[in-house]
Amino acid sequence: MKALRLRSLQLRLALRLGALFLAASLLATGALVYQTYEAADSLGERNLIERANDLARLVKREDNNASVIDLPPRLAAAYGSSDGVSAFAIRDAGGRVIAASRDEIATLAAGRPPADDEPRFFRFNVSGREYYGLDQRLESAAGPIFVTVAEASEAEALLHAMLREFIFDAAWTIPIFVAATLLVGVLAIRGGLKPLREVSAQAAMIEPGAISQRLSTRDLPGEIEPLVAAVNKALDRLEQGFALQRQFTANAAHELRTPLAIISGALETIEGDGDIAKLRQDAARMNRLVEQLLRVARLDSVALDVSAETDLAAVATEVVEHMAPLAIAQDRSIAFIGADRPVHIKGNRYAIEDALRNLIENAIAHTPPQTEICVEVLERGEVSVSDHGPGVPPEDRERVFDRFWRGDARGAGAGLGLAIVRETMKAHGGGVEVADNPGGGARFTLRFRRSSHDLDQ
Amino acid sequence: MRILIVEDEDRIVEILTAALRKAGFTVDAAGTAADAGEALAAIPYDAVILDLGLPDGDGLDVLAAARTAGGNAPVLILTARDAVEDRVLGLDSGADDYLVKPFATAELIARVKALLRRPGGALGAVLTAGNLTLDTIGRDAKVDDRPVSLSRREIAILEHLMRRLGRVVPRGVLEEKLYGIEEEVDSNAIPVHVHHLRRKLLENGAAAEIHTVRGIGYMLAEPKP
Repeated sequence: MKALRLRSLQLRLALRLGALFLAASLLATGALVYQTYEAADSLGERNLIERANDLARLVKREDNNASVIDLPPRLAAAYGSSDGVSAFAIRDAGGRVIAASRDEIATLAAGRPPADDEPRFFRFNVSGREYYGLDQRLESAAGPIFVTVAEASEAEALLHAMLREFIFDAAWTIPIFVAATLLVGVLAIRGGLKPLREVSAQAAMIEPGAISQRLSTRDLPGEIEPLVAAVNKALDRLEQGFALQRQFTANAAHELRTPLAIISGALETIEGDGDIAKLRQDAARMNRLVEQLLRVARLDSVALDVSAETDLAAVATEVVEHMAPLAIAQDRSIAFIGADRPVHIKGNRYAIEDALRNLIENAIAHTPPQTEICVEVLERGEVSVSDHGPGVPPEDRERVFDRFWRGDARGAGAGLGLAIVRETMKAHGGGVEVADNPGGGARFTLRFRRSSHDLDQ
Repeated sequence: MRILIVEDEDRIVEILTAALRKAGFTVDAAGTAADAGEALAAIPYDAVILDLGLPDGDGLDVLAAARTAGGNAPVLILTARDAVEDRVLGLDSGADDYLVKPFATAELIARVKALLRRPGGALGAVLTAGNLTLDTIGRDAKVDDRPVSLSRREIAILEHLMRRLGRVVPRGVLEEKLYGIEEEVDSNAIPVHVHHLRRKLLENGAAAEIHTVRGIGYMLAEPKP
């Protein structure tokens, strides 16, 4: 199951892309949040430093040598506002408080260790409120002073809240972006692999009877095209091998005919029953096998021309006429039930004759003496041959059409006749099937496609 | 009756010659198209058995030359060519019948006899099937030399069946031959005549038997040996 899942290229890519996007977006969000908080903190710190410096600039030395601070009204209002968010305390070099926004701050500042030139940040609580503050020694018109400024944390918290809101406002787009990218990726892969499914369907059609079929490289992704091209080349080589072998079969069968004709002829001139009669039967069987091998080889190698307008009723009549003497010589009778009108199909009359002859020969071999073989042509483009023999058991109804399949190993047939019939019908775009003959025996039916000429009527 | 075999395979010539001689024919053999041409020019053969694949040419050329020269002896083509279209080509070129190798000698002899039995053929005047004979000129039938009383139409049917001994004669062909184009043919006419003919042959002890091929026609079968 797991191996199967991992073998899907689509799923594999989707999973990996998904994992990558998730990691990347987590990392990016994390970095963004971290950076934002950093920025917020340093913004707060810079704010305090600026304020400390502003205050330092306002400190003056009075004539009485006392240091004072002269707050402009805006600043005074800010520091003196009742909410007490902003606070400061300034002490001179001696530690004496020059000015403070509130007494608590002055007390606190006095308790702090002496500051130096570097700003020193700290947190503290005054009457239940948390403050973030700064100590620094600064130069002023009144000489070095110690400045302490602080800002209540609510202001900082507000800033953080705003930042958070901004982050989440922006961050919610990230999962959507990930999902959209994944979707586009999966669709692209799916679209890219679609020609591959078509090629698979084409490959499924390739079989010994249709080996000239090749896989189409049209619209294939460039990555897969070399594979398909290589498969096509392999098929070329296979087809050559097939052709050689078929040629060999055809040649071998052809070359066997003359010596076989000589043997058969010689056997017929020798008087005698017993062993000679058996030899004659053997020679006849070999003749038949050679004939059928040739037919099979021909069906395999030459595409049958099935384009001619053919009257199925006329073909069947002629074959029955031709086969009747053979049936009568073996004490069987044969009948033709036909359409009175021509039954037009597209087909090759010689190949159809061969196929019908094979079916009738089989019927003669299997129907008991003094029974009738019936050949029937139907208007819808079918011809059937029924006998009164043992029939074909349902489990054999597919196999009987295989090459060299023989229901009765002692039978005289080579097992090629029905294979020839099936190949012929395949070439005609029709089919052959065997069923029970009502009244006992087997009924083989050849189905053809009616020619358009008749369908129009 | 004299028959020419045109065939380059010595063993086949040997076997055919033996079989045909046994059947009462006089046999000559030619191994090449050139020899065949000379033989046909010199002797009026009653029938020719012709192989299509000859070392110095195509048997169809021999056939064409013989026909052009005015020879009308029936020709039976013997061929290893299996493409069915070739068989038709042979018949279109003026051959009368064909057999594809390998064939049974008995069938070849039966076919040759059938060719000779055609109207105008060497066996045309008196037809035989076992102990049954029919004089096509005197229009009388005999079984073991005893005359059989048959109607004019029964004789006509019997003649067609005997000319195509061992092969099927379609009912339509009999209707055409027995009745004029103008005449209205009752669909039961031929079956009734055949029925009577069959009964009379049986009563008179004829060994040959008329078989019905339902839906097609009739066939006179030679008695089994």
